[in-house]
Amino acid sequence: MVQEIIAFIILLVAVAFLIRKYFWKSKKKGNCGENDCGCH
Amino acid sequence: MSIQNINVALIGNPNTGKTSVFNQLTGLNQQVGNYPGITVEKKMGFCKLPNNIKANILDLPGTYSLNASSIDENMVIELLLNKNDKLYPDVALVVTDVENLKRNLLLYTQIKDLEIPTILVINMADRMESKGISLDIPYLEEHLKTKIALISSRKGHGIEELKNLIVDYKNIPNEPCLNASIIDPEYFKSLQHAFPNQLLYKLWLVITQDVNFLNLDRNEVRSTFTKSHSELKRLQQKETIKRYQFINDVLKEGLKVDHTVATDFRAKLDRILTHKVWGYVVFFAILFIIFQAIFQWATIPMDFIDSTFASLSALAAERLPSGILTDLISQGIIPGIGGILIFIPQIAFLFLFISILEESGYMSRVVFLMDKIMRKFGLSGKSVVPLISGTACAIPAIMATRNIENWKERLITILVTPFTTCSARLPVYAIIISLVIPDERLFGFLNMQGLTLMLLYLLGFGTAILSAYILNKILKIKNKTYFVVEMPSYKTPLFKNVAINVVEKTKAFVFGAGKIILAISVVLWFLASYGPGKNFNEAEAIVIERHKDKPLDDFEFEEAVASQKIENSYIGLMGKTIEPIISPLGYDWKIGIAIISSFAAREVFVGTLATIYSVGGTDNEATIKSKMQEEINPQTGEKIFNFASGISLLLFYAFALQCASTLAITKKETNSWKWPMIQLVLMSGFAYITALLAYQLLK
Repeated sequence: MVQEIIAFIILLVAVAFLIRKYFWKSKKKGNCGENDCGCH
Repeated sequence: MSIQNINVALIGNPNTGKTSVFNQLTGLNQQVGNYPGITVEKKMGFCKLPNNIKANILDLPGTYSLNASSIDENMVIELLLNKNDKLYPDVALVVTDVENLKRNLLLYTQIKDLEIPTILVINMADRMESKGISLDIPYLEEHLKTKIALISSRKGHGIEELKNLIVDYKNIPNEPCLNASIIDPEYFKSLQHAFPNQLLYKLWLVITQDVNFLNLDRNEVRSTFTKSHSELKRLQQKETIKRYQFINDVLKEGLKVDHTVATDFRAKLDRILTHKVWGYVVFFAILFIIFQAIFQWATIPMDFIDSTFASLSALAAERLPSGILTDLISQGIIPGIGGILIFIPQIAFLFLFISILEESGYMSRVVFLMDKIMRKFGLSGKSVVPLISGTACAIPAIMATRNIENWKERLITILVTPFTTCSARLPVYAIIISLVIPDERLFGFLNMQGLTLMLLYLLGFGTAILSAYILNKILKIKNKTYFVVEMPSYKTPLFKNVAINVVEKTKAFVFGAGKIILAISVVLWFLASYGPGKNFNEAEAIVIERHKDKPLDDFEFEEAVASQKIENSYIGLMGKTIEPIISPLGYDWKIGIAIISSFAAREVFVGTLATIYSVGGTDNEATIKSKMQEEINPQTGEKIFNFASGISLLLFYAFALQCASTLAITKKETNSWKWPMIQLVLMSGFAYITALLAYQLLK
């Protein structure tokens, strides 16, 4: 039973990793020219 | 006393020894990453300085000027203009080559005009004597309004003095070299009037460059103050001329060259290495030696890694308590890690040779030499490097296209690079060739199997070039096209630089692509180990029932159960589903499964077949080979791996985009799913058609 739980956790981690890698879009940084990014 | 952190940016033209300076300052205290949102490589390191100062050294991509033409150059400008960026430099080190000081100083004057404390680093000082060069440092410091470090990064000379200058950066004058308003006095006057608190040169860059910065609405600046494209170009040219006038005036007094001392060894060597005939002869001879060496030398550590992981798998299966986790570890995770690490020797050897060629200055000659040919096919001379790197792995090769300024050329290079034969195709080729090509010699000395392998490499390269030609005709992307390549001096490669490069590239493969391969291996193992319905869940009972007249021994029984299970596992059902599509190519459902699973990475093909043919988790080629040789197609009664299906399979793997990581990197580099999808459909379609034709003609 313990083996099964750990194995499925590993599967979930692998699937989550692949989803995050290929499908999850990271929040895009705002265009510095459009906001006050304090570049001056 | 608390530690003071300062940011130091290393900036300079390509081939000025910037990376050597970085290595000298940071040693092995380095990390490589990407800039947020873009895939330009970021190299960071740190260096402990006197007075309890810790310098965070940022090695910026090489750039010729602040007039950006590639992503790398754009990124440099954006960082230098954004004071809120956590990497914004407290001090900039502009690295120049003493032999190309005039050209290198253009960038220096631009950085100075951004009013960032700037130290001028004149590198390769060890070559001054042999080149008859002498410098008047106090004069140059006075007129260039800075402090100068005269160093030899290769020999480590002047590094301590440079560190002391960094510590003292607050005393470096901030004055600009050029008053920007001389470019167009009236225009700049109105610009300054509208934005009185902004630096004129920054405003000029807002107008002329496609970069993000300032707390201004860029569109507002542009709409009010922009000029026609041709007028802006004219002003940019005027700016460059003004800068060179300034540089010439300074160097007239500050730099002396005694031409009677300088030797023309470089010119003589260049005449051979860039010769229209001898240049290619030398290049192909070097390539031949490199590939021979890669495959000869890499075999020993690869075999060692392979056998070590096979033993580890067996050990895990034997010693750990039986259960699903043990199976996952011994059949999924350990072979998965082994499948990553086995490619380290080939990748390390390839980058070792590429680093040596780059360090010696030869690679720039190759790029120059190939530009003429490549251009005819819609590629750039710079496409040579990705195409060569593609023989190890398409992922770093596609990343290597970043220094191609022209977007169309870069895109075409990205799209065609996966045709070059990568190392992951090798295991597939090796086993199929050994099955379908006789081990005989042609004309008494040409080994047929070796010849087939060489032809497959040439086929990959030839297809890449031809595809580039077609794409060049089809793609309607207009881009100005020009080619600038630095011809650096010839140098003996520095072991430290070569070693750091090899370690970095290998690490990037193991921790980048490696994580993906491992995750996919885990998922594939589950898909192959579980299945729906009683055909899977009652496999033992079905096998017993099937063989009740002639009972099997223990080994045969286990083998039959494993076959029954994999055939009805999720991945088995997928294979059965695609069987009607692949049977015209001469493949059965088992090959279909191997094709599906090897989409994660081509090398998975052999391992999957090993599992399917019930030889357990061991990747013993002889056993797999004999099983594959004996495999019969129940419909035709012929061997599955015959000459026709073998050639069909070889062509399929030569052309198909069987690599999820390549798709991912293409998406990253093109910032769109459109291009990887086009790449996938075209390559797979082409692979299918050629494999179909080959099988139907040869069967």
